[in-house]
Amino acid sequence: MELELIQLKDRCLADLKDVCELKALDNLRIKYLGKKGELTIALKGMGKLSKEERPVIGKLANEVREEIENALSLQKQILDKEEIDMRIKEEVIDVSLPGKKHFSGSLHPLTTTINELKEIFLGMGFSIAEGPEIEWAKYNFDYLNVPLDHSARDLQDTFYYEDDIVLRTQTSPVQVRVMQEQKPPLRIISPGRVYRSDEIDATHSPVFHQMEGLVIDKDITMSDLKGTLNMFAKKLFGEQTKTKFRPHQFYFTEPSAEMDVTCFKCGGVGCKVCSNTGWIEILGCGMVHPNVLKLCGIDPDVYSGFAFGMGLDRITMIKYGINDLRLLFENDLRFLSQFK
Amino acid sequence: MLVSLNWLKEYVDIQLNPYDFGECLTMSGTKVETLTVVSEKVSNILTGKILKIEPHPNADKLVVCTVDLGTDERIIVTAAKNVFVGAVVPVAVDGAIIADGTQLGVSDFRGVSSHGMFCSIEELGMNLDLFSKEIMEGIYILPNGTDPGLDVKKLLWLDDVIIDVELTANRADCQSIVGIAKESAATLNLSLGAFESYNKVESTNEIKEYLNVTIESDLCPRYVAKMLKVKKIEASPLWMQVKLLNSGVRPINNIVDVTNYVMLELGQPLHAFDYHSLDSKKIVIKTTKNEKIVTLDNKERDIDASMLMITNGTAPVAIAGIMGGENSEVTDATSLIVLESACFNKSSVRLTAKKLGLRTEASARFEKGVDPELAIAAALRATWLLEAIGACEVVEGVIDVYQQPVAIKKISLDINWVNHFIGISLSESEIAALLSRLFFNVSSENNGILQIEVPSFRQDIDAREDLAEEVARMFGYDNIPSTIMGGETMIGGKTPVQKYEDDLKNVLVGQGYFETLTTSFTSKRRLSGLNCATPEDLVPLVNPLGEENSIMRHSLIGHQLEVISLNYHQKNPFGHFFEISNTYRKNPKLGELPIEEKKLVLSTYGNDDYFELKGMVELLLAHTGIENPSFISGGSEFLHPGRKAIVSANGIILGEIGEIHPLVVKNYGLPKRTYVCELSFSDLYDCGSMGQKFVELPKFPASNRDLAIQLKDTIPAAEVDAILRKNGGNILESIELFDVYTGSQIPEGYKSLAYALNFRHQDRTLNDDDINPVVEQILAELKSALNAQLRE
Ligand SMILES: [Zn+2]
Repeated sequence: MELELIQLKDRCLADLKDVCELKALDNLRIKYLGKKGELTIALKGMGKLSKEERPVIGKLANEVREEIENALSLQKQILDKEEIDMRIKEEVIDVSLPGKKHFSGSLHPLTTTINELKEIFLGMGFSIAEGPEIEWAKYNFDYLNVPLDHSARDLQDTFYYEDDIVLRTQTSPVQVRVMQEQKPPLRIISPGRVYRSDEIDATHSPVFHQMEGLVIDKDITMSDLKGTLNMFAKKLFGEQTKTKFRPHQFYFTEPSAEMDVTCFKCGGVGCKVCSNTGWIEILGCGMVHPNVLKLCGIDPDVYSGFAFGMGLDRITMIKYGINDLRLLFENDLRFLSQFK
Repeated sequence: MLVSLNWLKEYVDIQLNPYDFGECLTMSGTKVETLTVVSEKVSNILTGKILKIEPHPNADKLVVCTVDLGTDERIIVTAAKNVFVGAVVPVAVDGAIIADGTQLGVSDFRGVSSHGMFCSIEELGMNLDLFSKEIMEGIYILPNGTDPGLDVKKLLWLDDVIIDVELTANRADCQSIVGIAKESAATLNLSLGAFESYNKVESTNEIKEYLNVTIESDLCPRYVAKMLKVKKIEASPLWMQVKLLNSGVRPINNIVDVTNYVMLELGQPLHAFDYHSLDSKKIVIKTTKNEKIVTLDNKERDIDASMLMITNGTAPVAIAGIMGGENSEVTDATSLIVLESACFNKSSVRLTAKKLGLRTEASARFEKGVDPELAIAAALRATWLLEAIGACEVVEGVIDVYQQPVAIKKISLDINWVNHFIGISLSESEIAALLSRLFFNVSSENNGILQIEVPSFRQDIDAREDLAEEVARMFGYDNIPSTIMGGETMIGGKTPVQKYEDDLKNVLVGQGYFETLTTSFTSKRRLSGLNCATPEDLVPLVNPLGEENSIMRHSLIGHQLEVISLNYHQKNPFGHFFEISNTYRKNPKLGELPIEEKKLVLSTYGNDDYFELKGMVELLLAHTGIENPSFISGGSEFLHPGRKAIVSANGIILGEIGEIHPLVVKNYGLPKRTYVCELSFSDLYDCGSMGQKFVELPKFPASNRDLAIQLKDTIPAAEVDAILRKNGGNILESIELFDVYTGSQIPEGYKSLAYALNFRHQDRTLNDDDINPVVEQILAELKSALNAQLRE
């Protein structure tokens, strides 16, 4: 019996030498160690053994089993590794071949600009107000202190739907609506689409976009206007940006100003973007005119405020160096896909 | 407006260099656009008097001139035809530089040395538009009596700096040299020079014998007339011509030039009539009916009853504030003139000029508003000039009909309020000083309140805020501090619907869609390509820019098709686009604004199909929190009849989706397969539940049943879907249609829809006893309602 077990082991180890596939290895395991395997069959003779022989043979049988199992496991490791090596070898790819195409779209550059501006003002506690594009003439002109005989009201300048209904020429009517409907303190911005009767060319369009802002509260001063817009300019064009406030005139505000910023491209030394002046005109602003406050039911002796407005198409063009306004409205993918 | 710096310096002692001066003006509110030297390069050009002209020995077309240059005489050879003995001309002597930068030397003209060259206005670098053709083509002949040996650059103000200023609408008073001089003096804190004026003490009122003026309209607050006898009509003196030229005005003759000169200098338009041509002893200012007048530019103008006219009592002789009539024009034969210095209503001038399509230097000034107080000052200034240059003799007396005198405005200004409003801290005397610089009459009682009297030329100043601006700009906007707003802290931020819009855009961009930006206009012609009946409730414009922009769009689809057509023709192989914009419709309620509805449009072409776009829409709806949207066959006529659907959720129609109809494809030049979807943005938002809540993960396993259902292929899957959901009860967790089959395995005219049904219970594991009755019920209803059966 003892000899039988030793021979079984030797036979198995000899067989193992020829095994070079995982499948054959498994077969070998079944042949020797399986439920009906040779070792099991050999051990069936255990019952015939004497009490003294039984533990000796039992121990030997366990040793044989263990030795075969170790050998099988060792061989399995070798074969596993061989198989993986083989697979790796077969699976070599040219990593320099192009990747599979995925397509992402993009926001229109105008939207990106609007988003950027919104974020700056939302961070300062402003809300976004919206209003109709087709608007009462009185909201677009009268409440904004525009003189009755002003040429802005002419058919050449403003689109009319009816005698008293126009396509708004500025987003200021939204400010009027907010002032009439809400109580101060107010901090709003109103980005949106506006219309003026200009033939389309590289810098004009009958449809364009503006963002205006309005702050009304007790004790709002012109220095607050400067402080707020300085911060806005630095956030939009960078910390090093300087501003220049020039006196100007708007019917909606008094005092009024235009704000220039140092050219973000050349930093103020002069270049093509700023037509060699070092400055770029960016917005109009001022303290809300007392007539406007009164017309909107706000007492100018109690409250004051400032307003500002800027052309979004123009800022977009400056920001991206776009030389023709028409490109913004054309929607050629070769243009749109540049703003991912 | 063009401002001659040399002329300005006659009023204000400006020592700054032109660029620094320009910056100061800009920063105090008079925006300087450009600074240009008239003729920067010219040098060493002198006046020379031609003493002798001799023929050239070797050339017929040349002459040899001996020229007196003051200190010496030179020989100059010229081919010019318009030179003559005694003429004083600009001579570029050797070493001189002419306008284009060429430096001259001594040159040999066929054996005769020429020590310089006579110059034309072009070679002097003057504005060619301001000269007649004959002057432009010859050598520039200077006025008789001009001394030889003078530096032409100085004499003709070629070294003058022309400042182009942009004036704001409210500063009518700045439309003149004196107006800008006032601003300059205030800005630089310098004194303002005075001008000489006719101030003779007259002993008679001779003018009354010639003329009577009546105003029969309230559109003329003031009319001043002065009369002068003409001594000689000739060219005006060089110094006057030069100032006109540097202001962009063409010199004509001494009388016309003086009227223009005073307009440029003081801002008051003047007009001179030939007295005898008036053919009447009176001037009546009034509106007339349906007259015609030939204006000085030789054009016949139709006059209507709204237009204010200067008449001789019966016939118009000038259009008030705009242009004189040819019938009363000053000519060489004129012996007596009426000089008009009047004030006309600005709106009236503006509307008349607009109606006639005739804008002049005069009308431009009247449109902005001319100070009525200026009328008499300008009349007397012009009178003085006409006398001083020897053009006229004065007829004694002046007519001044001043029916609406300007009231002097007085405003009290609280010093604390100004300081607080601007955010500065100036003393009462500092503020008084700043306002005094601007010619405000300031009285201070040291009680914190200033009493301000507004000069008549500042028609723009009405309220304390206007004065605050004056203080601020004199103090310097740049000197105002920058402060952080005080007051209540405000949270601000986006509303949920604003967030949703941004969110939708981001989802679409992530899925490869490009946002477009299209205009709000469309037209009947543009819409005709859609092969639809045009809606009744469109919003047309009264004054559109052409037919193609004549109505406000009621849908975003037309523009998307135009975008796709453009990209297709630009050979972009495929494209996915979206836009969220307003659409416009007539309001059925009278007296209300039109209805504006925000819509979302998607459009694609290239390698997609209907289901690709539908999948995108389903993704958006799921993202919005809209469950079980339905897509029911139907939709607009511009869509392919077999490939279009109405999208709705919870019984609300959100919009439509489909492939573009082949005819419309042709009309718009589109790729064969183009897909669009348009949804109402607000309905989309209202139907959704964007606040995404966390749902606990299920604890018990789901059971899956696959059903292949065979039915007539005309029955939409949506109907099967509805039956599945209705009968599935609350244990039916989800349905997925994973296969649609038509073919040889099933009868013709039938299709097979393969659904995976997922059943799950929250609290226990489901077994066949739970599910089988449900499935049976489903199959029963499919059979009874749709005659559909299970495919084995
Ligand atoms: Zn620059």
